[in-house]
Amino acid sequence: MGDNLRKYSKIWWMLSLRAAKVSLNSRFGAVLFIVAKLVRFFLFLLFILVLETKVQTVSGYSLWQMIFFFATFNIVDVLGQLFLREVYRFRQYVISGDFDYFLLKPFSPLFRSLFGGGDVLDIPILLLSVLFLFIATMHIGNVTLGGVLLYLVLLGNAFLIALAFHILVLSLCIVTTEIDNALWVYRDLTQLGRFPVDIYHEPLRGILTFIVPIGIMMTFPAKALMGVLSAEVILFSCGVGTGLVLVALITWHYALRSYTSASS
Amino acid sequence: MHSYTLVITNTWNEILTYRVNFVMWRMRNIIQLAGTYALWLTLLAQGDSIFGYTREMLITYILGVYLITSIVASTRTTEIGTDILNGNLSNYLIRPLNYFGYYIARDIGDKFANILLTLGELTILFLLIHPVLFIQTNILILLGFLLALFLALCLQFILYVLVSILAFWSDDVWGIRFIYLVVASFFMGAYFPLDMLPEPFFSIFQALPFQYLLYFPLKIYLGEMPLMSFITGMLVCLLWIIVLYLVTKMLWQKGIKSYTAYGR
Repeated sequence: MGDNLRKYSKIWWMLSLRAAKVSLNSRFGAVLFIVAKLVRFFLFLLFILVLETKVQTVSGYSLWQMIFFFATFNIVDVLGQLFLREVYRFRQYVISGDFDYFLLKPFSPLFRSLFGGGDVLDIPILLLSVLFLFIATMHIGNVTLGGVLLYLVLLGNAFLIALAFHILVLSLCIVTTEIDNALWVYRDLTQLGRFPVDIYHEPLRGILTFIVPIGIMMTFPAKALMGVLSAEVILFSCGVGTGLVLVALITWHYALRSYTSASS
Repeated sequence: MHSYTLVITNTWNEILTYRVNFVMWRMRNIIQLAGTYALWLTLLAQGDSIFGYTREMLITYILGVYLITSIVASTRTTEIGTDILNGNLSNYLIRPLNYFGYYIARDIGDKFANILLTLGELTILFLLIHPVLFIQTNILILLGFLLALFLALCLQFILYVLVSILAFWSDDVWGIRFIYLVVASFFMGAYFPLDMLPEPFFSIFQALPFQYLLYFPLKIYLGEMPLMSFITGMLVCLLWIIVLYLVTKMLWQKGIKSYTAYGR
């Protein structure tokens, strides 16, 4: 177990370094991507500020609470991009048959397909989100150590759900060889989590909590920190995260059996 | 002319070949609409109007964004950058057809498919939720709206081409396009009507060409554009089109001289 962990950590580090070198190969391109992401971040912040000037509270949430939700959304979103960026390149491996090489390597093809190339260009946004998280936390006040710990646990759970979604997308790609928009559907869905899902009316709120668990990913960690989430809901959230990963893994094994190695 | 008709048909066939991807693409649009719609419904629940927009005006604006975006933003010109970077452009240059005519035809095919499906989706939406809409009955205003929409189509095509042909000088055309999409979608008023912004942001946004892609036509439809503002807006939009066309033409001529068909 320990040896395996060391082996996979080393593989992940090597693949990430390689991906970082590729990303930073063109400095101009890297700067453009980072600037675009920063612009998007600040424009949405401006949007929240404009909203708050007119409505004071959105569904009972104050300006700093809204910023806290927004920063949490960004952290979860960026963590997915930072670690799971390789999924965006997976279709090319399948249609070219290069996925064969993943299958031949003496380590998990799923690991290679998921973690084969993180996106270092997301690090600035991650740091900025953490900064805004701290600022918003200071303004919200009444934050306990227990709340912070629960926040971190639910953030980990959000990453598990993101992981499950990405595994499902990989499986879909093997079966259909079409993946691009499936990934973007996931991204669009998560973007509904820029705001707490409580603000949406039913049935959208229910859909975003129980069917597509965006609320569990984006809203629940922040609510746990604010101390407005019950223990049952926290347990339920962790159950959903673990369950989804299991379902995704079963789907992956099923999809692998239908891989035909076409074009290889 | 027959060649271009064939290009339009081919684009349709291409869309229908990758059905899963296309269904996902449509799902993306529905999710985005659902998110925006639900957010504004929540905000409207706190009063009869917000930022000077009544419920029916704002809902019309949001659904208008959905419809117009499917017309204005759908494009195939993203392929121009790839054509230049991988040398495929040479294949088109030796063919007896106009390269930009080819992409206009591809865009027409793409836009028709998107318009048809958007109208279908909006019809289902009307039947399900019966949104209260503002229906413009003034023929002159409707003609003005259609004229502004046509100019928006021209402007967007030129802007897309301008961004794409930067591939003559940079491999990072995707970065440039990404930053363009982030900025344009915000500055064109896709998230909210631009006049909700306080000064000086509103004036800055007005000075840019992006508002003519969405905000300007929709304000005309809503009957909130006085005659003088309408005339001035149309003239400025026309000026932007002419200037950007000349810049694009100049860059294309310079670029084509430096083009080396690298990659073929």
